Parts: sequence; structure tokens; C-alpha cells
Amino acid sequence: MDNGATMHLAVSLFPGAADGSPGSEPEFDRLAQLVQKAEAAELDMVVIADSAPAPAGDAVSRQAPFEATTLLAALATVTSRIGLVAGASTIGHQPYNLARRFASLDIISHGRAGWNATMAQAPREAANFSRSEGFSPDDFRRRTDEYIGIVQGLWQGWDADALLFDKSGGRFHDPEKMHLLDHKGEFFSVQGPLNVARSPQDTPLLVLSGLSEPDMDIAARTADVILLDDGPIDGAKARHDNLKRRVAVNGRAPDAVKVLTTIAPITDGRPTISADRLAGQFQSKGCDGFNIRMPMQPAALDDFIDLVLPELQRRGLFRESYRGTTLRSHLGLAGGGDQ
Amino acid sequence: MTAASRQMKLGAFLWATGHHIAAWRHPKAHVMAGVDIDHYIQLARTAEAAKFDMVFCEDAAGLREANVGIASQTSRSIGFEPISLLSALAVQTSRIGLVSTASTSYNEPYGLARTFLSLDHLSGGRAGWNLVTSASPIEAANFGSTGLKPHADRYERAREFAEVVTGLWHGGASGHDGQSFSVRDPLDLPRSPQGAPVMVQAGASDVGRDLAARTADVVFTAAQTFEEAKAFYDDLKGRMAAYGREPDDIKIMPGVAPVVAETEAEAREKHEELQELIPDDVGVALLSSYLSISDLWRYPIDGPLPELPESEGMKSRQALVVEQSRRDGLSIRQLARHFAGARGHWRIVGTAAQVADELQARFEGGAADGFNVMPSWFPGELDAFATLVVPELQRRGLFRRDYEGRTLRDHLGLKRPA
Ligand SMILES: Cc1cc2nc3c(=O)[nH]c(=O)nc-3n(C[C@H](O)[C@H](O)[C@H](O)COP(=O)(O)O)c2cc1C
Repeated sequence: MDNGATMHLAVSLFPGAADGSPGSEPEFDRLAQLVQKAEAAELDMVVIADSAPAPAGDAVSRQAPFEATTLLAALATVTSRIGLVAGASTIGHQPYNLARRFASLDIISHGRAGWNATMAQAPREAANFSRSEGFSPDDFRRRTDEYIGIVQGLWQGWDADALLFDKSGGRFHDPEKMHLLDHKGEFFSVQGPLNVARSPQDTPLLVLSGLSEPDMDIAARTADVILLDDGPIDGAKARHDNLKRRVAVNGRAPDAVKVLTTIAPITDGRPTISADRLAGQFQSKGCDGFNIRMPMQPAALDDFIDLVLPELQRRGLFRESYRGTTLRSHLGLAGGGDQ
Repeated sequence: MTAASRQMKLGAFLWATGHHIAAWRHPKAHVMAGVDIDHYIQLARTAEAAKFDMVFCEDAAGLREANVGIASQTSRSIGFEPISLLSALAVQTSRIGLVSTASTSYNEPYGLARTFLSLDHLSGGRAGWNLVTSASPIEAANFGSTGLKPHADRYERAREFAEVVTGLWHGGASGHDGQSFSVRDPLDLPRSPQGAPVMVQAGASDVGRDLAARTADVVFTAAQTFEEAKAFYDDLKGRMAAYGREPDDIKIMPGVAPVVAETEAEAREKHEELQELIPDDVGVALLSSYLSISDLWRYPIDGPLPELPESEGMKSRQALVVEQSRRDGLSIRQLARHFAGARGHWRIVGTAAQVADELQARFEGGAADGFNVMPSWFPGELDAFATLVVPELQRRGLFRRDYEGRTLRDHLGLKRPA
């Protein structure tokens, strides 16, 4: 298991922003190479950003040809170890459909998929999904909380030993081991069960981001990974301790949730991240690891992998190799796979 | 295209262990198909090597059968979600078209248009969307508490949905503010490599045909006899002029479930082998769900089909089954066993030459532009079709020997939208 001595590392990709210059190479191949490089460096996961429309708002300026869950499926077939987390919106999808998409992605990737759900309402999104009025912050929070409960509940609808595959007896699955959800709530009513088999890692990973203070309890109760924005290093430990305390209050082991700080390389000139800075924040117990927002230039990933990672490994702060094959096993989280 | 060079279009209708309800029990069927992506990659490559126009995935957002005891005797309660499945296949194949079903009743047009366009980019212009309105009350219960909406309402929503999606794909910039949907922005993805993903439709009721005549590029349908297929073909093509379209703008591809072997006797034996594996209650339950009747099991199994109220589910399929039961004088048991093989689609059991003869007759007789091939079990029956029937069709000049282009529109000979 994870003893907390080494940090977890994710990189966030913004497809289409991988390179400003339109090259001759197809966009998918370029993205695949980036992810393969991150896998060769044994990073825990890549986080594929998504929003509809792009935050810049100006549709033409965005040249990302892909939506995140479809991209994840494609990347899953050209990688074998690295975790793949895609953003998908709670306004743009019905919870049954979203739960199903990610359960399927998890099987396609052999237990490496995760859903990044944002607790923040994207400014223009609702207007494209027949909700031009949007939701009040409080309604959005209650709705997201209910939504997450449905998705996680659907993911747990099939017991690990439910499928029998008994050809001669004519029993494909054990009816006792398939469970209806029967959810009737304020915003949704979902009967279930999911028509996708159980995840190879028990359930796909739930990553929460975009949290404001009132969202922290929902995250502490439901998330596997929490992405927090970078802040002053002084407050980091208190923030981390506070979050882990809330995790415990919800009856979960503090280590059942990993808190990653999102950092962006300093982009003047060549982008850089200093190993000292990461080591400092990690060793002072300000987080369990980092989510590195990749800037435009793919060279930034090279620099990070070629220069910063070996330094972290030399100091014993990042593992030399994957411990298992599922995303949960990389993160030292309970559930499924081969820990 | 001249009549002499007109060639048929072929889809490979993929479905986990196979189309026969008992496929998963076949000794050689891959029983873990619904959790094995490599199985699907292999099937898609087989179909691509045989130069099929497309692979096709059905879909339903829920269980197929409400009775858990019956559901547990079939393999259809679990499987891949098709858009993620086809996205994986997109980068593991290079030429074959990739068509997935998605419902207009339980999606929003902006998200669906964007997702299919992404699949289209991942595949270099090989994506298609099979529009369905979703007829099952089991699905409806996963999307609210008010139950299945009436057939007419579902189709009205589908009409507006299709209009918004095609508008977005064609680069529509202005907002849409309609009865069921409002959308503000254009899509934030570049234009499709094939102009727009291909629009497929599988409804065959009167309103379904009108919607298809207005928007579809490909239509899947179920027909038993030549006369049924021909009547559907002529009717649908006849409706297109009203929407300013030419008959050749839609390819009509009825489902066909071939069981093919070196000899006719061997084919019959293969077919019987699967028929023997259908439990009666599973067969009757499957038939009931397509007839939208919940208590068919109450009627004597060796008696005739009772009078049925008109379906709010799949109107066209209900009519097809009722017609067949009257025409052939079948009991419920016989009908159920027949239906379990291919859900009412046309079945041909025989040698490659016999199968090719039948396909040729419907194709040249003006009852089809091609066929959606539904192997009874995988991988065996897809392999058999690819190695026995495809070469026979090629010898007769009825099917391509190689792809003429890169995109699904190229394969289908469809115009590229302006
Ligand atoms: C080849 C074929 C494939 C179909 N696939 C689906 C499917 O995947 N999901 C679904 O809900 N309906 C599917 N249907 C059924 C039609 O979409 C169904 O008839 C429709 O929902 C109701 O339309 P109708 O009453 O106009 O026939 C399929 C039909 C055919 C012929």
C-alpha cells in the first residue's frame, strides 16, 4: 500500500493547446505521444480537460478536435498503464449516461479511467443545454451532490462475482448480485441498474475539482482525488489537514482521498517547475502530490520529465515504477485490481 | 452510378456474443465479449478486411428485460457503451465506418453533436449516428419518474433534435430556441473531415419514415418478405421528393441474419444447434418486449398470438410480428423461437451461393441498397460471412474488392454536405 512517502503526479492536458503551430502530424498522434511519454515516466495519470464551449468562448480560436471521453477511449488503446481521467459535465449529460460512459471507459482501459467532475458551474455551458437560466450556486451544489451519489451508486450495482458465464447451465449472471438503484431525489429519478459490468478497479476514479469552501464536505465524502488550486505555501498544510479531518468525519480513512495541488509551470521564457518547490510543499505535508497544468509547449513536459522527475526520484520522493496496473493501484487507493 | 456498376452496401451489426438470443451459450462463442475490448477490435478488423462499409452498434440505456430471472439467462444485461467502444475502435482501424446508436429521448443535441463530431475526428471522417427514439419503459425509468413518453411526442422531440444536430454539424452559428431545446453557441470543434457525420435511422413507423425521408443518409429496417422490403423501399424513397431530396440520397439497408456454411445441411444443423439452446420463457419474454405486451406468458404457448393493443413502443416491429404470425399460422412458441434468432429480421440459412442469390434478388429487385448483416454468434458467423459470402458477392460484381475512398460518406457514395 501507499505509505505516503512518495508523491503522486498527474498532468493536465488541454487538447488542442498542445502546440500552437499547426504541424503535419495528426492531432491525435501528437496527444498520444505526450501521454505515452508521461506513461514511460510512470506518472499516475493524465487529466483531459473538457468544456463545452471552450472557456475562451471564441469557438474558432479553439482547435481542439476532441471531446474528452471519446479521446480517453482512444488513448486507452495506445497506452497500458497510465491513469486516464476525463472531464465531463453534469449539465451536459444525464447521470445514467455519464455513469455508463465511464464504466465502459474503465473496462476499455482495464481499470485506468476516472471522471473529473467540477463543482463550479461553467459560465456559458447551461445555455447550450436548454438551461439558459442556469442554476443558483446552491441549487447547483445540491444537484451535483445528488448526481455524484447516483453515479457512484450505479457503479456499485454489480457485485464483483455477479457474472457467472455459465453456458451449459444457462446462467449468465447471478440475479441476486445485480442491484437496482431505485433513486428518487430532488433533481433526478433513476432506477438502474447500470447495463455495464463492474469496473476492474471496483469503481472508476472520482476526481473533484473547482471546489469552493461549501463544496469541501461533498468532496470529503465522495472523492477519490481532490484537485486544489495552488495557494500560498504557508496555508497549505492547514488546508490539507482540514480536508483530511473532514474525510475522517465522514467515516473514511484520511488516506482514502488524495489531495493534489494544481500547479502551472512558470511560463516566462522556457516553462519551469522547481523540484525544490514540489519537495518543500510535499514534505511539509501540504498535499499528497501535484497536478501539473501543461502549458502550450510540449517541451514543458520534456523538461519536467527529463529534469525535475529524476531529481525527485533521487530524493526518494517519486516512485521508480508503477506498483500495479489500475489507476487505483497507482494512487494506493483501496479497490479492485492488483494491489 | 450506372445500374451495372451499382454495388451493395454492407454493415456489420456488432453485438457482444451475437444476435441470436442464445448466442452466448454456443460452445465457441466468446462468452466474455461484453467486457473484452480486444474481442471488438478483432471483429472490426475482420469486417474492415472484408471491406464492409461500416460496423454498427445498437444501444439501449438500460436492461433489455425487466424480469431479473429471465434477464440473467441472457447475456444482454451488460455490455459496452457504444460511443466509448467506437472511439476505441476508431484508432484501431483505418477505413471502416463506425456507426453508433444514440437516443434523442435521453440526450441533449449540443452534447451529442459534439461527441459524434469528436468520434468523426478521431476516425478521420468515418463516424455515423443512428438516431433512435427509444421505445423501452425500462430505459425511461433511468431518466425520470414519468415513464415512457408517447410515440408521437418522442418523434416530435427527435425531429427538433435532428434539426439542431445537423445545424451544428453544418457550422450553424446562430442560436436555436425551440420547443424542446435551446442552444446558444456553435460547436467548439473544427468541421467534420467528411463534411458531417453520417445520419442513420432505424425507425419505420409512419412518422419515423417521414423523419428519415427528411434527414437520414442511411436507413436500417426489418423486413421478412421481399414484398414487405420492396413496399418499405418504395414508400420511403417516394417520400423524399417532398423534402427536396433525390432517392439515391438515402441508402436503405434492411437487417439480414445469415447462417452460412459449405453445405445447406451443415447450415441448417448450425442453425438448429442454436435454436435448441433457447429456454421457452426467454423466447417468450423477448417476443413480449418487442410487442410491448407484458403478459404474453399468460396465454397458451401452443396457441395463437392474442389480439394486441397498438404499441406505444416500436410500432413497426409489432406490426411485422403480427403479420408474420397470421401469415404463417405460428403459435406463440413457434413465433418466439423464430423471433429469438434475429428479433424479426430476415433470416437466410444456406450455402454462400444461396445467401448471395437471396441478397442479389432483393438488391436487384429494388428492395434494398444493401444490408445490415447480423451474425448469429461472434466471432464464428462473422468470419463465415466474410470468408464465404463476401467473395461470392465480389465474384458477381455486387460488392467492392477495395475501398474507393477514406470516409464513410465515400464508402456509401453519399454527397458531401456543402
Ligand atoms: C437495424 C435496426 C437497429 C435498431 N437499433 C435500435 C437500437 O439500437 N436502439 C433502439 O432503441 N432501437 C433500435 N431500433 C428500433 C427502432 O429505432 C425503433 O423502431 C424505434 O425506436 C421506434 O420507431 P418506430 O415505431 O418508428 O419503428 C432498431 C431498428 C432496426 C431496424
